[in-house]
This record gives sequence, C-alpha cells and structure tokens, in this order.
Amino acid sequence: MNTAVQTREGALILDSHKLSYHIDRVNEWEAGERIAPVSVDMALTRACGAMCSFCYAMMQESQARSSINTSHALHLLDDFAEIGIRSVSLVSDGESTLAKSYVPFIQHAKKLGLDVANGTNAWEWEPEKIEQVLPCLTWVRFTVATGRPESYAREMYKGPEYTYVFDRAMSHIRYAVELKCRKQLPVTLGIQMVLMPYLKDEIIPFAKLGVDLGVDYAVIKHCSDDEQHTLGIDYSQYESMYDLLKQAETMSTDQTKVIVKWDKIRDGDKPSYRRCYGPQFLLQISGSGLVAPSGVFFNARHSKLHIGNFTEERFKSIWKSDRYWRAMHYLASPAFNAETMMGTLPIQHYVNVALDNHAKGIARIKPGVGGKPLHMNFL
Amino acid sequence: MNETWRFADVPTPTPGVEWIQMSEDNRMGLVRSTLATSPVRGNSLLVLLAAQQDGHVVFQFTESVGPERRGTILLDVEELLKKAIDPGLFVSLEPLGDRNSLRNLRGIEVKS
Repeated sequence: MNTAVQTREGALILDSHKLSYHIDRVNEWEAGERIAPVSVDMALTRACGAMCSFCYAMMQESQARSSINTSHALHLLDDFAEIGIRSVSLVSDGESTLAKSYVPFIQHAKKLGLDVANGTNAWEWEPEKIEQVLPCLTWVRFTVATGRPESYAREMYKGPEYTYVFDRAMSHIRYAVELKCRKQLPVTLGIQMVLMPYLKDEIIPFAKLGVDLGVDYAVIKHCSDDEQHTLGIDYSQYESMYDLLKQAETMSTDQTKVIVKWDKIRDGDKPSYRRCYGPQFLLQISGSGLVAPSGVFFNARHSKLHIGNFTEERFKSIWKSDRYWRAMHYLASPAFNAETMMGTLPIQHYVNVALDNHAKGIARIKPGVGGKPLHMNFL
Repeated sequence: MNETWRFADVPTPTPGVEWIQMSEDNRMGLVRSTLATSPVRGNSLLVLLAAQQDGHVVFQFTESVGPERRGTILLDVEELLKKAIDPGLFVSLEPLGDRNSLRNLRGIEVKS
C-alpha cells in the first residue's frame, strides 16, 4: 500500500489494490464464506467504434452477444445493491457510452448509493451526455493511445490521416475538465496509454498531452495478451523503456500526475500466483451479458468458467448459484494454473497478488490506516 | 481458515508418461471411450477436436448451449477425465474470433 500518489484531491492508488479498506470482506473470505464482490467491472455493450491495436476485447468473444436493454441494466444494479456490491465500473469489453442504457445506468447506480465509474474513448461522449453523467461519476478514464493526432489515429482508428477522432476526443475531455472545475465536481479525470513496446517514442508526448489537458492524471500501463500470445506482446522489451517512463513521471505537475503502473509492467507475463482468488472480490461482466469470473475468461475457449447471462437470469440468482461458486473454487484449486491458463495481467492482478500473499502468509492484508484513498470502493 | 488456501502453492498436475507417449489418435480414442462408458450429463453435445500431449483436450458443442449449462457440462467432463485418465488433463472449447468488423480490419486472429 505504498504506491499512493498524492494529488490535490487525495491519495490516488493506481498501481496497487485497496483491499485494506474492505477488511470485512477479506475476513469473510478468510472464513470461507460466500462473499459478494466489492466491485464489478462491466460493459453495457460489446460494440465499439474504435479499432485499438492493443484492445483485449478482440480476444473476448463468447458464443452470443445478448442485447442489454435499460431494464436489464437497472435490475442488475438493483441486484448489486441488494447483495452488497460497493462499486461498478463501465470498462470491460465494450464502449458503454454507445448503449442506450448508459445515462440511466449511471444515474441509477448513484441513486442506489453505488460508486460508479467509466472508461471510454470519449468519441461519443458529447457535452449533453457529459452534463448528465459527470456529477454521478467517481472517476472517468479516457483511453488515449498516444499524445499525437496521427499516431493516435493510427493506433485507435483506420490510419494516421483520420485525426478527427483525436480532435473529437480531446474536445470532449477538455469539456469534462472544464465542467468539473466549474461545478467543483468530486470526480477524477485521467487519461490512459496502453503501452505497446513499439510505442516508446509516444511516452513523452503522452505525458505532455496529459499536462496540457489538465486532467488529474496520465497513466501508462502494460498491454495485456491472452495465453496464446495473440497480440504477440514481448514483455522483455519493457525494461528498455524504464528511463523514458521515469522521465515521463518527472513531468508531473500540481494539477496532473504522470503515473506508471510499474508493478504490472515488471510482473509482465510471469505472475507470482498459481491460483486466482481475485474474481471473488472484483468480478467482471461482459457487454454480451455474460457473467464469468474475469474478462480473461470471456472467450468461448474458456466456456467451462462461463456462469450465466444476466439478461436471461437475475444476477442475484447467478451469484447465489452453485455454478458461480464452482467456477470461483475452480480458480482456487490445483486444476487451475494462472501462469498458463489465462491471459496476462488481468484487471484482478493486484488483488490476485495480495490475496495469494495473504493466503501463503507472505504478507497479510491489514486494515488501512490514516485517511481513506480516493476511489476506495474500486479495488 | 479458508479451505482453498491449502492449494495456494500446490503445482497444477501435468500429464503422466503414459499420456505423453500415446499417439494423438490413441489419446482421442481414450477420451472418447471414457466419455462413452462414463457419460456425464450433456456430454452427448460435445465433439472432441483434439487431445494434446500437454493435457489440453479441446471440444466443440454440436448445438448452442447457454452459459448457465456449458460451464457445468465442461467442468463435469474435465473432472471425469482427470479421474479416469490422467489428473493432468484440462478441457476447453475452440476459441472464437472477434465479431467486431471494424477491429477485424487489424487482421488479428485469435490463436488456437
């Protein structure tokens, strides 16, 4: 828990976990109880208008894409609140801003007392939509592949000549920064670069862009790959970028912190854990409606870990089912090997590491001390 | 204490010599005969595609099976194969590629 970055609004933890602030849930898990996740990461659709070169969603196709309507989405939130889930983020495997249920979902989550957040490319996140959702959101993280229009358009769309997508995204991000400031909204705005090894020349321009936009942070993270190495990420190449990454961090200002997810970059494709306890605390749901323990298991390949679809069955029934717990226990059993049977660096990575160290007695998770970090309910 | 913790550091079993030295045809035959003699619920919906030396056994469903059923069927089959043949076996389905037509312009194919 030593990786918090001090911002003007509080301690921001992006390169670690926040289980210490959910010790009640850790204790219940330790006692072998069937716990509700602290957080759910999901999407309201599998659709996306971008074509990012680093997109893990390319490897997340399951058998069917169910259409998630607003009623499904709102019932899902009702179930989250009823069973004790504390936060929900719209990231996962689709661009949720495209869904009709996007605005009502966020507003309903807020009404229920759930913390709600969003990851987006911001292309369809126009001012009217921003006005409706920003007051309800705890954080918004914008996917910004690079800091320059041409390379951004090359990595996120059809080619370097399509710079209008960059202009559009920046215009919307600037609007959100201005709105946050004008209304003094308690929302954290950040941009995120998914660092492919060949993009090292984009590290510094990305950091400059973050400072220029006036967002709260600009984070640089690894790129995940599936266990078959579909994207062909060579994790050994990241080390050659360490100096540039450190240089980027020095560009932080009072307003904008440039943050590198060092732990994930260093762990690469070699997790320290064999078992995967994290999904019990941080569950993922696909924009297809599929409920599976983690996004790395959405593809049809991993059907043995598919549990249900919340458009066909209420989530609370899925969560209570023996199917749900059989999948979770499978990931905690010797039958499962995190080193070879799942994609690299899933969203649960930090939580997996911490719970594994706790179970092995290497480092026990202790209650958080001092002030609470920002976004405490997002693990 | 959580019952599952005792497995935290237990290595995942790998196939034994007998499985490794068997030909692919013989491995496929063994899996088929095991499923035929000890059927688990729903295994008639499965077609065997591969039985690899590393213990990976790959199936395909003959018809659409919802997520509320397919996990149970495949985990039951895996348990059976582990008990009856070799604890190092594990099952999966054939992977599916991205249905997003725009992203497909990248030409990235999900590897089997």
